[in-house]
Amino acid sequence: MSVFDLTPLVLLLPLLGFLIIGSLRVFNAHEHTEAIGWIGCGSIALAFICAAISFATLINSLTQAHDTTIWNWVVSGNLSINFGLRLDALSAVMLLVITGVGFLIHVYSVGYMHGDPGYWRYFSFLNFFIFAMVLLVSADNFLFLLIGWALVGLASYLLIGFWYQRPTAVAAAKKAFVVNVIGDFGLMLAIFLLYNRFGTLSYGGILFTDPGATTAAPQAFGVNDPMLIAITLLLFLACAAKSAQLPLHVWLPDAMEGPTPVSALIHAATMVTAGVYLVARASNLFQYAPVSLWVVAAIGGATAIFAASIALVQNDIKRILAYSTISQLGYMFMAEGAGNYSAGIFHLTTHAYFKALLFMCAGAVIHTLGGEQDIRKMGGLRQRLPWTYWTFIIGGLAIAGIVPFAGFWSKDAILGTLLARATAAGGSPWYLALYAVGLGTAILTGFYIFRLIFVVFHGAYRGGEPAPQPEGQVDVQARQRRRGNPLARVHEAPWIMLAPMVVLAGLSTVGGLYGTPWFDTLGSFLTGVLGNGFNVATFALQGAALWISFGVGLLAALLGIGVAWFMYVRRAPSLRPMGNIVYQLLLHKYWIDEIYDWVIVKPIVGMGRLANRFVEDGALDGGSRRLAWLVGKTSVGFRTVQSGYVRNYALVFLVGAILIILYYVARP
Amino acid sequence: MPPDQPTGYLIVSAVLFTIGVVGVLVRRNPLIMFMSIELMLNAVNLSFMTFAHYLDSVDGWIFVFLVLTVAAAEVVVGLAIIVSIFRARRNIDIDELDSMKG
Repeated sequence: MSVFDLTPLVLLLPLLGFLIIGSLRVFNAHEHTEAIGWIGCGSIALAFICAAISFATLINSLTQAHDTTIWNWVVSGNLSINFGLRLDALSAVMLLVITGVGFLIHVYSVGYMHGDPGYWRYFSFLNFFIFAMVLLVSADNFLFLLIGWALVGLASYLLIGFWYQRPTAVAAAKKAFVVNVIGDFGLMLAIFLLYNRFGTLSYGGILFTDPGATTAAPQAFGVNDPMLIAITLLLFLACAAKSAQLPLHVWLPDAMEGPTPVSALIHAATMVTAGVYLVARASNLFQYAPVSLWVVAAIGGATAIFAASIALVQNDIKRILAYSTISQLGYMFMAEGAGNYSAGIFHLTTHAYFKALLFMCAGAVIHTLGGEQDIRKMGGLRQRLPWTYWTFIIGGLAIAGIVPFAGFWSKDAILGTLLARATAAGGSPWYLALYAVGLGTAILTGFYIFRLIFVVFHGAYRGGEPAPQPEGQVDVQARQRRRGNPLARVHEAPWIMLAPMVVLAGLSTVGGLYGTPWFDTLGSFLTGVLGNGFNVATFALQGAALWISFGVGLLAALLGIGVAWFMYVRRAPSLRPMGNIVYQLLLHKYWIDEIYDWVIVKPIVGMGRLANRFVEDGALDGGSRRLAWLVGKTSVGFRTVQSGYVRNYALVFLVGAILIILYYVARP
Repeated sequence: MPPDQPTGYLIVSAVLFTIGVVGVLVRRNPLIMFMSIELMLNAVNLSFMTFAHYLDSVDGWIFVFLVLTVAAAEVVVGLAIIVSIFRARRNIDIDELDSMKG
């Protein structure tokens, strides 16, 4: 069976949706919210169907990859760049996640954004994002990857700053954009080096040459070639910025200023995983640069535990989830750094389900409370929001890693890989350290997510005050209702929001079954395109070790959940900020933002001020002002010559003529 | 027969030229100034012809024709300008036209 490749349609449909919805404003038809909802969701639904068809035919065919060249974009000397799309195992999986989760979030948004004056703008941006993300994962060369990479950054910027009347949202959008540009810069440099080394930018030429061929890259450079290390490290710089890894994680928590479905789609399920995708995509390069792999694993591990520790004490429901996202991305990079790329991608997919689900649940809570995001002002919502509560529990169990939910399998694949690398012959104790970090993070994950659930849904309702910072459209009625009887009229979200949550809850429950150690469908599907055929089986634990790894992972999660239960259900929750230094450190996110402010932002702004004062005002503006003044002063003298009288000029002519004649006469 | 020496012609030419120069410088009526300019041109023509004759060369004649042509064109343009200035300002005193004063 041959591949029925519909990738161009997957790319085109969201673009069409974006163009149609975007142009509605021109025709003054942007008030037709129902039509906008249908177009926005419909285009993604069709794209999902196309992606599913491509995926199904690819999985049933013997073809490794299917390339579609749409046109030849640049031909210059021996540089030739095609606008081409590549359908292989990796991009097919990514396409399914993007369009599938994307579709659910579009549907959810129909309910969530209902009544927002920027409804049409929201859906056009959201469709544009899907287009950019599809371009990113389905491009068949690094240049179009970069274009998609930059466009998703733009979409993220637009959607973080969607409520542009809020100064905090604008500042967050700017921050996200600036930090992402650091990564874009790294990606661009990596592309220059790639071209310099390989003379081409297509994946086919760089990544997928026949392993047997000796002339082919990257085998030709051998292991730990300095250039290869530079390329991979620059690629990882891009990944770290996009996927919010240390030390470039600072933009993601602030990005929560955007609408909650945007946080679910862009800042949890898809865009931030682009870095994980890129490392997997370039795995054949990373495989030849073990030093870079170490950096990936170390940064991933550090980020995982660092972000999880911050998530322990945050009080903003979305920020907890944001730090949790950073932490989970760290897990994925740990897996990739340990060489098990398919585990990274596996965790990417399961994370897309449960994190999108958690964000949706958080959105439903925020929605019904009229924009309240502070968990200290929630509580006892369990009875009023049963659907949200139970889906939230499923998401929480999945992310904590409780069997048999999706997160258990993927997290265990990662932890198992680390353990296998540590215990295998020639294994390094560093992997053991990373395994410990992973386990520690698992404990923290169980704790922070169930702290969130217990504080929001259990106990007594602590709200009542009107929200100081309503999210989006202020639901005035909801506020008035709450003044009378705080919980009485808190109601479940509309079905259009609940339905996607239920679907994702289902996926979070069973979505891990395609990656279990016994039926690793995903892993074997991806083997061909990842790590140049390095055998995934070497990472698999056998026999008793497998069960020990399962048991330890499960224990870690249960320990975290148990402590959370003890602290927030058994005892009356104490939500007052504590004075001790560790708590303050975590509450203030290790003061990273403040440090960056002092070390980077302030000096740059100061330099700008100095430059403004001395270079701009002093040299450039001042110089030109002085020059103009000089010209003016000089001209005052000269302009008296211009009397305007014809006869004066004639006299000057005459005198001149006489002088010339005298010169020639007097010349010897 | 012309005399053996060109002195007389050249003196006449110089006198005419000087009259022209002084006319341009001292008169305020542009028509008179124009006539003075013509006078200068023709003074030059006269000396051209003189030298052409005494040096036995046609170059001088050719220059004379050129100068005549240019003078005719110049008069056309100049008179048109004077007429339109007069129409616009009802006055053609040359010293009143100082709008180009810097």
